[in-house]
Amino acid sequence: MTAIYKKELRSLMTNMTGAIAAASALLVTGLMFRYYNLFNGLLTLHYAVSGSMLLFYIVIPVLSMRSFAVERSQKTDQLLLTSPVRISSIVFGKYLALVTVFAIPVLMMCIYPLIMLSFGAETLLWDYVCIFAFFLMGCAYLAVGMFISSCTESAVISAILTILFIFATQMLSSLFTMISGTAFTAMLFLLVLSVTAALLVYGMTKHFGLSMLTLGVLGAGCIIAYMLRPDFFSGRTESVLRILDFSTHFSDFAGGVFSWTNVLFFLSYAAVGIALTIQSLDKRRWS
Amino acid sequence: MIEVKHLTKEYDGFAAVEDLSFVIEDGMIYGFLGPNGAGKTTTMNIMTGYLSPTDGEVIVNGHDILSEPEEAKKTIGYLPETPPLYGDLTVLEYLRFTAELKRIPKAERKARVDTVIAQMGLEEVSGRLIRNLSKGFRQRIGLAQALIADPQTLILDEPTVGLDPKQVIEIRELIRALGKTHTVILSSHILSEVSEVCDRVLILSEGRLAAFDTPEKLKESVGSGMIIYVTALGSEEQVTDALRKVAEIEDSSVSDDGVHVRVRAAESGDIRGEISKALFEAGCSVVELRAKETGLEEIFLHLTGQDGEDKDGTPDEKGGRT
Repeated sequence: MTAIYKKELRSLMTNMTGAIAAASALLVTGLMFRYYNLFNGLLTLHYAVSGSMLLFYIVIPVLSMRSFAVERSQKTDQLLLTSPVRISSIVFGKYLALVTVFAIPVLMMCIYPLIMLSFGAETLLWDYVCIFAFFLMGCAYLAVGMFISSCTESAVISAILTILFIFATQMLSSLFTMISGTAFTAMLFLLVLSVTAALLVYGMTKHFGLSMLTLGVLGAGCIIAYMLRPDFFSGRTESVLRILDFSTHFSDFAGGVFSWTNVLFFLSYAAVGIALTIQSLDKRRWS
Repeated sequence: MIEVKHLTKEYDGFAAVEDLSFVIEDGMIYGFLGPNGAGKTTTMNIMTGYLSPTDGEVIVNGHDILSEPEEAKKTIGYLPETPPLYGDLTVLEYLRFTAELKRIPKAERKARVDTVIAQMGLEEVSGRLIRNLSKGFRQRIGLAQALIADPQTLILDEPTVGLDPKQVIEIRELIRALGKTHTVILSSHILSEVSEVCDRVLILSEGRLAAFDTPEKLKESVGSGMIIYVTALGSEEQVTDALRKVAEIEDSSVSDDGVHVRVRAAESGDIRGEISKALFEAGCSVVELRAKETGLEEIFLHLTGQDGEDKDGTPDEKGGRT
């Protein structure tokens, strides 16, 4: 794992990738800090950090898009996968390298609260909680970006899909007001999810019977449950979509509340991203 | 020793390798021979653990590649068809990385890196970025990477493809030298290369093992009938009549240059002298007389049984192309 971590870190640092990521991070966070804190005189950092989320659209895809896609298109994955290392070590090594490069600008952000201290700020802990949440969120996105990269041979496609994912998870909370909360639409929504699940099962196993079984069980379950207890469904669309809602989980931190639930939310995204990447690499050997 | 047992690999219902079984003994150079799409690369990719088989097992130096992948992979050095190189690293950095990746103990790494650099003649380029190096150097770096952990078995997928003739000779000599201390498995679609370097040849055809023997025995098995191209001046009838006395005519045509005939000697031995004599006696002058080595395609068609079964035109056409 250390071999891959060191090599990956080196590549990220010597390529344009690391430089673009660090430069854009410093530019965006610096501008936000200047605008909210120095220019408008806010003493806490949370507006600047929230504004800096724009950064994810650049830094996350730039860092993660190449991780496995290029490895695959240049056939260097043959070296990694035929060496005496576990797939999980390869994935962890790469992921830690991504996190390390992302941590550099975040560490630089840690200077901002100290600057504010000289203006009489007393919210040092709050500021650092915000920065920590920002870092966690970035780590979760990096894991998802790495997984997307492991599914394709094209870094560009990987970057676009990652940006779309970030967009969806950032914008979702503002869409909730437009989502109908009735039980019937929730049931329809869950039916659509059942179809998606069945398609996924088919895509992964190529087994028609199994995917039909999935669809039957989930679909029938939804319909029967709706007929028995329709009230169970009201508001479910929103609660399902909450799984994808990153920004609400962040806003708790921004409000100064440190909650383990939210930490766990981001950590589980990172864990799922890593696990799916391992699965995706392993599955490719069998297809 | 590598044991391959009933190996099958299917891609979406199409079998790239089907029920393949063979045993690779230590201390010899083996050649995988076969046209593109015969399953050479797929077999190698499974033997090295890059792909998983649909069915069957591979036991590499006593370790099953699926249940003990790390132990098995430690004993193999693999050079894939495209050398797996990182263009943004220098040769030295790359080899240090692979040394660590292949779990060489820290104390020995530097010595191993220096050894393979010397062995592959990479001293002058060791500080340069891989992306700026020529195909020949890349191939050597690929070989250096396969050799770095000093594995028992070396698996080389088409190691000479894309190299210029001088580099081809260099790489072949390297392989021959490596064969003295390692078990080497290489793949190729060039018969001369395999018969020159290898002790044993495996011929693959459509994912199946068509033959497994020494190169000499394989050549014998095709029959010793030599194929000779003759161009002579005279009428077509005159020429073919004269040739029919000494050999079997496979094909004939007429052009401005004369009559072109392809004949196959009925028995072993060189019959070029007899051909020219027969033509001379018939009053025709010989413009060209050329014997052809028995090529892969002939051995191949012969071994896969397509030789006589097809209608007359097909084997002739294929034989003529080499």
